[in-house]
Amino acid sequence: MNLARAATIILAKELRTEFRTLELLQATVVFVLVVLVLFSFTFDPTASESRRFGPGLLWLAFLFAGSLMLHPSFTREQTNETLAALRLAPIEPFAILLGKVLANFLFLLLAEVLLLPIFAVLYNVHLASVLGRLLLVLVLGTLGLTTTGTVFSAIASQARMRELLLPLLLLPVLTPALIASTEATAGLLGDPPELRQVWLAFLVAFDVLFLTATWLFGEYLLEE
Amino acid sequence: MPRGMKTSWLATAAVAALIGLAGYSALFVAPTERTMGLIQRIFYFHVPSAWTGFVAFFLVFVSSIAYLLRRRPQWDWLAVSAAEVGVACFTVVLVTGPIWAKPVWGIWWTWDARLTSTFVLWVLYVSYLLLRTLMGDPERRATVSAVFGIFAFLDVPLVYLSIWFWRTQHPQPVIGGGGLDKRMWPVFLICWAALLALMALLVRQRYRLEALCHEVQELAIDVELHSAERATEIR
Amino acid sequence: MKNLQSLMAAYLFVWGIFFAYHLTVARRLARLQDEVERLKAMLKQV
Repeated sequence: MNLARAATIILAKELRTEFRTLELLQATVVFVLVVLVLFSFTFDPTASESRRFGPGLLWLAFLFAGSLMLHPSFTREQTNETLAALRLAPIEPFAILLGKVLANFLFLLLAEVLLLPIFAVLYNVHLASVLGRLLLVLVLGTLGLTTTGTVFSAIASQARMRELLLPLLLLPVLTPALIASTEATAGLLGDPPELRQVWLAFLVAFDVLFLTATWLFGEYLLEE
Repeated sequence: MPRGMKTSWLATAAVAALIGLAGYSALFVAPTERTMGLIQRIFYFHVPSAWTGFVAFFLVFVSSIAYLLRRRPQWDWLAVSAAEVGVACFTVVLVTGPIWAKPVWGIWWTWDARLTSTFVLWVLYVSYLLLRTLMGDPERRATVSAVFGIFAFLDVPLVYLSIWFWRTQHPQPVIGGGGLDKRMWPVFLICWAALLALMALLVRQRYRLEALCHEVQELAIDVELHSAERATEIR
Repeated sequence: MKNLQSLMAAYLFVWGIFFAYHLTVARRLARLQDEVERLKAMLKQV
């Protein structure tokens, strides 16, 4: 079976599992909301401050939510020992990883898109005119987050203290993606809105680099 | 004295001499910098420590790949040794940075490009060491940390570039600014050489520790096996 | 001279940190070497 088909099947399985209860999606959306609200308590921003700090806070919230949401990706397999079954299937290990990366990506992206209007209201930003370009930034940034996040979820699931370990491993590695995403978003929310090419290039480089690394080395994480 | 021990003492003495030479050059031979004066001499160990740390982390990268491809535990021993020494190097950078900043800028910390990147790097490899601590099975640990070691090093250039670009858009006070006078370069290089030699020594020592750990485990198994054999023999 | 103090402090930390690390490894090394001797002796007895 070729890679694309195998990955799609895994993706479908992940989506089906999640859409059965939707609890992960709900929890993620609520969590990001709580984070955004808490930020406003601790910083009590004025209108212009909101617009200045908004992008950073948004991506921090996505980052925290993402690292929590990625956690079940592999631990869920562990409780039912389904990973062994997956490994026995006649597909290359990278297909398993790719399927999970795509599933996590779609979920996190969905949560982010749902949260955008709420963010716009809470932090007084106008998103309508830059929506297309903003979505591009969201896609690239989220892809980087979920690629590394899925791999590190596989790593953390084999160690102790995995709930703490996943963010600890993930957040430092994501620093470049966080900076790039925040700066790109800030550029779009600026006056006049501009799409800073440099940061887009960074995100693309980040995504390509880590997807390739996952393809080359990820399979070692799925070994017996 | 067994031959291994003798070369060890010679190496240690050579490194100590090199360090002494480097220290002396940095403190007395190097010309005094115009704007910062004495405090600038910290530079001669602050920056080479970072460079040495990079070399150490590159070693982690290479050993991690070698382990995944070859599966010989010696590569894993090298990886953890290089990682620990690298963290030690960057700890030095993170401590000497603020010591330099306080007299020059009046503040302990500034989120300037170099210090911020160093901090991220430091946390990254501390996480690597923490990951290893949290895993029991030696083979799983070696495999998993090898993958993380590879990802971590691939991230390093991105961290530096992104923080540097970010800082050019939002500037802050810079630690260790100012170029290098032509006369300062030799001193700088001697200090770097001394630190690289020290790194090699420390990595080798830590590697021996890991190898010994392995030997202890093997011996313990041997002892168990032999006592079990004896027990059945007697019966 | 305040700058001299900072300079000395920095150099102390540089060597102190490396030396402290060296000591922790050396101590564990010595302990493990004892353990190896102990186990080897046990093997001779068995």
